[in-house]
Amino acid sequence: MQVDLKLDEEQRQIVAMVRELAQERIAPFAAEWDEREEFPWPVVEAYREAGLFALAFPETYGGVGASAVTQVLVVEELAKVDATAAIILAVQWLGALPILVAGSEAQKARYLPKLASGEWLAAMALTEPEAGSDVAGLQARAVRVDGGYRLTGQKKFISHGAIADVLTTFARTGGPGAKGLSAFIVEKGAPGVRVGRIERKLGLRASNTAEILFDDCFVPERHRIGEEGEGFSIAMRTLDRSRPAVAAQALGIAEGAFAAALQYAQERRAFGQEIARFQAIQFMLADMAMGIEAARGLVYRAAHLVEEEGRGGGRLTTANRYSAMAKCFASDVAMQVTIDAVQILGGYGYIRDFPVERFMRDAKITQIYEGTNQIQRIIIARSYLDLAPGP
Amino acid sequence: MHVVVCIKQILDPEIPPREFQVDPQTKRAVRGRASLVISPFDLNALEVAVQLKERAGGRVTVVSLGGEETPEALRRALAMGADEAVWIRDGALEATDASGTARCLAAAIAKLDEPDLVLFGRQAGDWDQGLVGPMVAEALGWPLVTNVFQTRGENSPLELLQQAEGGYRVVAATLPAAATITNHEANVARLPKVREIMLANRKPITQWSLGDLGLAADEVAPRVVVEALAVPVPEGHCTFIEGETAQEKAQNLARALRELKVI
Ligand SMILES: Cc1cc2nc3c(=O)[nH]c(=O)nc-3n(C[C@H](O)[C@H](O)[C@H](O)COP(=O)(O)OP(=O)(O)OC[C@H]3O[C@@H](n4cnc5c(N)ncnc54)[C@H](O)[C@@H]3O)c2cc1C
Repeated sequence: MQVDLKLDEEQRQIVAMVRELAQERIAPFAAEWDEREEFPWPVVEAYREAGLFALAFPETYGGVGASAVTQVLVVEELAKVDATAAIILAVQWLGALPILVAGSEAQKARYLPKLASGEWLAAMALTEPEAGSDVAGLQARAVRVDGGYRLTGQKKFISHGAIADVLTTFARTGGPGAKGLSAFIVEKGAPGVRVGRIERKLGLRASNTAEILFDDCFVPERHRIGEEGEGFSIAMRTLDRSRPAVAAQALGIAEGAFAAALQYAQERRAFGQEIARFQAIQFMLADMAMGIEAARGLVYRAAHLVEEEGRGGGRLTTANRYSAMAKCFASDVAMQVTIDAVQILGGYGYIRDFPVERFMRDAKITQIYEGTNQIQRIIIARSYLDLAPGP
Repeated sequence: MHVVVCIKQILDPEIPPREFQVDPQTKRAVRGRASLVISPFDLNALEVAVQLKERAGGRVTVVSLGGEETPEALRRALAMGADEAVWIRDGALEATDASGTARCLAAAIAKLDEPDLVLFGRQAGDWDQGLVGPMVAEALGWPLVTNVFQTRGENSPLELLQQAEGGYRVVAATLPAAATITNHEANVARLPKVREIMLANRKPITQWSLGDLGLAADEVAPRVVVEALAVPVPEGHCTFIEGETAQEKAQNLARALRELKVI
């Protein structure tokens, strides 16, 4: 494959616009949103105005059909100032992906244009209290009734769970294991769906993370995505495509923290000189920069492969190895870089007046969601071993 | 209504002062890591033009004279709502100054399809001279209104809102006319939308050389010679104001400030 990280003119212009948007409408308020643990609606409004939600949707459904590389560039740019703001886009795309990869024409026509404009928000509800990494072990049940299904069960840690208009979710229509799962669309306000706890978190505090409770919730048959029993496959095809965006979020967090540390190191003086003159600080900066550049290579490459391989709605094979690597590596880099950034800022790094402690708290989630880094390592290893594809 | 906006691409004026350097030999700013942006008042001018188009109909043409990265600025303008773009590009313009630039712009405007209004930023964000707008108006023989921040109406005479001490003045301008634009809350430049950025990349950019404009190289040779260029070095001093009581300290502070002619 070719290794070409040069952005084209269109990408550079979109990134430049996003950078301005981030500087004007996100950066000045991010600390306050974090502090108040309040979902940042002004960010949603800014994305609607700029047309950012549309990036990942095809032109036929009101989107602009930007490449996966452009999508990750945008998420990365946003995460440089605020990880919560960045994940708003990624969650919208994640929520829409089951429909994009396996939805019927009618489902696409009904949901995608409103999700592309941002008029509706989406969420993807997979995780349950007793099943996170182990997707095949989901317990929520969908029982067939006249004209559709009745859903009962509980979903946990659902990003935008309490605010989404459209929820794509997964429940068991058959026996145990992966083959018994099906995918569904549940609209806001459907009888029998209720929002439970809103989680209070270490980081990503302004992001909405909610529990969803289904209690005999009727879902019409036309809201089933794909065939009965196709749920596990749809979940995997979704995650195959969504991981580069989380990797980009991690990369952006690392870059934001590095920039803050780099600036601080050249301004702060100790023992009569800028701390950037101390080799100990220089070595940290060098390690941070190396990690970031290596992560960037993986993230863009993964996005590029998802773009190439991801057109139909099927499972990805080549791309998967690289998106797992990108997500795992970039999030590990983000964690280390943000820890080092706090260290370089010394006491000020630990104080909320500077953004690096927020970056450090935010970085942690990127090692956990959309498949923990342990799961990513399993995917990577299995892509080399001659074993059945794993979780 | 056909509105023309002349824009200049400059080094981002928002870079940290620490990074700003000039080359004493060439007497130019050093590019360094600074990105190129549309000069801030030119963005206000673009916004005024696009608002006028949205109100009165018609079209907006952007014109820029500049080096190899000029298309980026033009595409940004197209994404903000301009319909056509002209790039004046000629090796002979490398060293030109305000008068040469104005000559080229005037020739380009004369070549365009009957413009009604031509807008400029009040001054460019690099040299801050504020010469080009008035010089072009002079060359075209058009009326010029300076320090405008908004327009009203849809036809000639067009009302131009001009900033004035403590308020604004309304000037009715018979078209065609020229105006220089200053910043105001009414003309904060919009961010382009993703879709517009993508469409802008599909619009063609017209290129005109000096020859196309009917100009010869010696007509645009610089007439101003920059003798020296340097970044001023700020100096800081610290004086402690003494005094027994708060009142005495305040009096001493006031005296010190008066001696420094600050108050
Ligand atoms: C802020 C936030 C937002 C989230 N958003 C969403 C969302 O929008 N939609 C959604 O569906 N979910 C979401 N999640 C859930 C998230 O994806 C899961 O928490 C994650 O997949 C891990 O699942 P778990 O918490 O059940 O951990 P578990 O699966 O119980 O894992 C616990 C530990 O065991 C390890 N482990 C598990 N299995 C293996 C194995 N086979 N080999 C080695 N180690 C293993 C894990 O790596 C981890 O360290 C979100 C979570 C958070 C915190």
